Amino acid sequence: MAQVDDDDGEEEEEDGYEEGFIDDDARADNPDEDVQRGSRRHFNPNPMDDTDDMENLEEMLKWKYRTQSHSDFDEEGLTEVEQQALLPSVKDPKLWMVKCAIGHERETALCLMQKFIDRQDLQIKSVVALEHLKNYIYVEAEKEAHVKEACKGLRNIFSSAKILLVPTKEMTDVLSVTSKSADLSRDTWVRLKLGIYKGDLAKVVEVDDVRQKVTVKLIPRLDLQALTDKLKGLKVAKKKSFIPPPRLFSTDEAREMNIPVERRRDKDSGEYFEMVGALKFEDGFLRKKVSIKSISTQNVKPSLDELEKFGRVGDDVNEDVARLSTLSRKKGHFMKGDAVVVVKGDLKDIRGCVEKVEDSIVHIRPTRSDLPKTLAFSEKDLCKYFNPGDHVKVAFGVQEGVTGMVVKVEGHVLTILSDTSKEHIRVFADHVVESSEVTTGLTRIGDYESHDLVLLDNLSFGVIVRVESEAFQVLKGVPDKPEVVLVKLREIKYKIDRRTSAKDSKNNTVSTKDIVRVIEGPCKGKQGPVEHIHKGICFIHDRHHLEHSGFICAKAQSCVLVGGSVVNSSRMGVDTADPRLGAFRSPARILQSPGGLPPRGPYMNSGGRFGGGGRGGRGHDALVSRCIKIKSGPYKGYRGRVKEVNGALVRVELDSLMKIVTVKREDIADTANVGTPFRESRYSLGSETPMHPSRTPLYPIQTPMREPGATPICDGSQTPMHNQAWAPMSPPRDNQEDGNRGTWGSWGISPAYQPGTPVTRPFDAPTPGSGWESTSGTGFGDAPFNAPTPSAQPMTPIPASYLPGTPGGQLMTPGNAGMDAMSPMIGDEGGSNWLLPDVCVNVSRGDGSTNGVVKEVLLDGSCRVALGPSGSGDEVTALPDELEIIRPKKSDRVKIMNGSMRGVIGRLVGVDGSDGIVRVESPLDMKIVDLVILGKLAT
Amino acid sequence: MFFHIVLERNMQLHPRHFGPHLRDKLVAKLMKDVEGTCSGRHGFVVAITGVEDIGKGLIREGTGFVTFPVKYQCVVFRPFKGEILEAVVTMVNKMGFFAEAGPVQIFVSNHLIPDDMEFQSGDVPNYTTSDGSVKIQKESEVRLKIIGTRVDATEIFCIGTIKDDFLGVISDPGGAL
Repeated sequence: MAQVDDDDGEEEEEDGYEEGFIDDDARADNPDEDVQRGSRRHFNPNPMDDTDDMENLEEMLKWKYRTQSHSDFDEEGLTEVEQQALLPSVKDPKLWMVKCAIGHERETALCLMQKFIDRQDLQIKSVVALEHLKNYIYVEAEKEAHVKEACKGLRNIFSSAKILLVPTKEMTDVLSVTSKSADLSRDTWVRLKLGIYKGDLAKVVEVDDVRQKVTVKLIPRLDLQALTDKLKGLKVAKKKSFIPPPRLFSTDEAREMNIPVERRRDKDSGEYFEMVGALKFEDGFLRKKVSIKSISTQNVKPSLDELEKFGRVGDDVNEDVARLSTLSRKKGHFMKGDAVVVVKGDLKDIRGCVEKVEDSIVHIRPTRSDLPKTLAFSEKDLCKYFNPGDHVKVAFGVQEGVTGMVVKVEGHVLTILSDTSKEHIRVFADHVVESSEVTTGLTRIGDYESHDLVLLDNLSFGVIVRVESEAFQVLKGVPDKPEVVLVKLREIKYKIDRRTSAKDSKNNTVSTKDIVRVIEGPCKGKQGPVEHIHKGICFIHDRHHLEHSGFICAKAQSCVLVGGSVVNSSRMGVDTADPRLGAFRSPARILQSPGGLPPRGPYMNSGGRFGGGGRGGRGHDALVSRCIKIKSGPYKGYRGRVKEVNGALVRVELDSLMKIVTVKREDIADTANVGTPFRESRYSLGSETPMHPSRTPLYPIQTPMREPGATPICDGSQTPMHNQAWAPMSPPRDNQEDGNRGTWGSWGISPAYQPGTPVTRPFDAPTPGSGWESTSGTGFGDAPFNAPTPSAQPMTPIPASYLPGTPGGQLMTPGNAGMDAMSPMIGDEGGSNWLLPDVCVNVSRGDGSTNGVVKEVLLDGSCRVALGPSGSGDEVTALPDELEIIRPKKSDRVKIMNGSMRGVIGRLVGVDGSDGIVRVESPLDMKIVDLVILGKLAT
Repeated sequence: MFFHIVLERNMQLHPRHFGPHLRDKLVAKLMKDVEGTCSGRHGFVVAITGVEDIGKGLIREGTGFVTFPVKYQCVVFRPFKGEILEAVVTMVNKMGFFAEAGPVQIFVSNHLIPDDMEFQSGDVPNYTTSDGSVKIQKESEVRLKIIGTRVDATEIFCIGTIKDDFLGVISDPGGAL
């Protein structure tokens, strides 16, 4: 029964009658009466249960309640006083709020009804499940215990659920609903709730209270093409996703598409309409009949734009706007002293200032002297008034929070010049308040703030240029034209705050906060600091740019760094990009100041790149007053000027922060691209020049060697590691570094020296020696090298194996000089020059070949070999060309005869093509070595 | 509008300035500190014309600085609503133009430019009447009326109009145009 009761309530609500409910309550005073009521209502359905005819039942119910509600109203015709007496008092049954399973409110109410029918002993009076209230039902009963009793055992009510008493005063509120349709009248603005027009603004034209329908006027969203297809009888696939944009209907356009447009006169009103099929158009607007339930009248708040679209009809827009803006007023809208204007009634357009406010009546003092001192108006007839030049703050709407000065007053629409963005904003006069504060309005929603670089849904990106109440305006990263999109919070993926840099048109590196000038494109000539860089696109903030809060989007390539270098890119490359060359230059510094030699640590390395010391001329580090960039540490990415150098620490004045910080010297990098007055000096080759003289003597020797394309190798070998490796060497060697480098990398070519100046070699080029000793390091003759160039050739197939050996070349054995002296005389063929003792060899003499074990390698390259597989036989001296190494087999003990591991003993555990896998004995390790350089050890 | 008024300020002086030229130092520092500043109440301080009185100095404990209350006469410039000013146009864009009258920046919105003047974009953006006889562009001198002021701590920003009798261009840049 409760269900019925509830329905009853609804019906009554919709009709705007509350008497029924109150009536019931009043009757409830008397338990007998209540029983009566119960019987009256509860009994009736019972016979109908029998009929089982649902349609009949529905029919009957409709009839019953319609008549009832009407008759109630008609018969009783209660006066207000009588109604007051019907309000619930303490003597009436209470209303209890019971928690139930969410979504099962109605079900619970029905269950209780059934229970009530089944068990007459239940002492509850009624049950109400409200449509809008989830999780709760109301039970009317005298005592809490009765409610508990009734609820016991119900599935949807938890036994532990609290039962709350509704205070007597609030009981009426439970069932009284503010009638929605009450203020639905002609010319009301509404929004549709359903269909393709969902959310669209519409104006009520006609209200049919009886059928609960309204006729609204709205801007049609027509797909003319689809309409034609439909008229032609084509099957139109329904595309749900596409909603045509709102556009006024044009008869001509429709006729062009061969859509028949009929002009018809309305019978009742005598107005003319254009009819297309069943659609009715008037002045381009669509007239649509909708159910009252499908429109919302609350919080319509049309925006100015929407209104202006409707404004075309030739209505008095201004009046409309005025009335509209009054819709969304808060309480206490007017205050004493406000300047107002009357917008309605006989005294329309009278201005005055507010004297007194009493609820909705506002007393104003008109500015005109021939009027009475004060006049009283309804709040709705007034609107605020502003003068140009007033400083105001927007208090409602999309622009909420923005402040600015009134520039123009057009009726009730103000044009405001925003303080911060210097843009014009149009708002309702009613939506602003006078204010002296200066704010931008909202600056952030969620994690995003204005001026942030964000990644959007569709992988495009942009800068937030304005934050509105529910959306962001984002200037997209498209360089050709400024494209601003309105983006909702959820459409933003994340904030991009990676520090990147890009190259400008002159190949300078542009980082954030650098000042650039746009040299091409639509924003040509604009200049400002770069705020963001992403994918080669810069967002530049130009204070003088008035749109998009000063942001300009431009390709980095079409900008130029202000004050940046205009030197061509190749030089830039030398200075910044190529670390090898940076290192390349460092030895020069050392040459220049021999005093700087010993500490060749990392500092000096970088220091070297900054140019030689002493050039500053004032006796302190040349780094001082340099523009540098900090490349690591907490200030990474900042640029600044060096103020002072203090050992390993450098005090830097940061450009962007206006403060001086101390950073480690190794954390800074010279910036080649920030223009500074000191630029010339940095580019000057002053530091380099001394290097050349020192190098020149070497050239005659080196050049031929370098020519054959060895240079790349040479560069490659010139790594800092080498520098350090060489560091412990004696000073004179440093001078030769360049030379060394050449020989190292291109070892195979080094014999080129030999024919040159054998005598001077020990002095001017210890390099060859150092180069060789990797091959003949143990002092057993440089057999291959004595021969002029051709003889070096046989070695070339193997140099690969030499290369790893080179670092090992440090061991400058005492025998170095001796070797050199000897080398010319030695050997013919370099096949076995790397022999080591204990290696098994094949000695091939004229009479055949015998196995043997090398006992000793003589200085001239020949070996003393003990014959016999285990070396137990006679000892003979054999020339290198008579010896052949016996290739080890798997699991043989081997000795590595070349490379960095020369002399190491291990066991061959596997063969992989030409490589052997060797388990080295000490330290225990696995190595992969060329089979060629493995020699079998004698057992 | 310009005013000649007396203002007071507490000046802090470093002990190293104590000596025979203390007064000169103090005045020099005052000029350096005050001239060109802007206060919301008095407007821009254009120049100090004289020092009326220097009170007794008070030594600050700890720092050794001495605070002197100084009364000085100065010329201030403060724009008012309704005031007519002559200003030089500094920037023209489609929303209006910016002009400067001394230190004050004034914006004249296109709503406050006579309706017969239209914005012409291009190399030299300008507002021109339909017959081309009057042109507002950069460096033009205009007479305008201030209709609103916004006063910050360090700046006064005004909105002006030339949509009134006897307002508008008074001389073109260089007189050439």
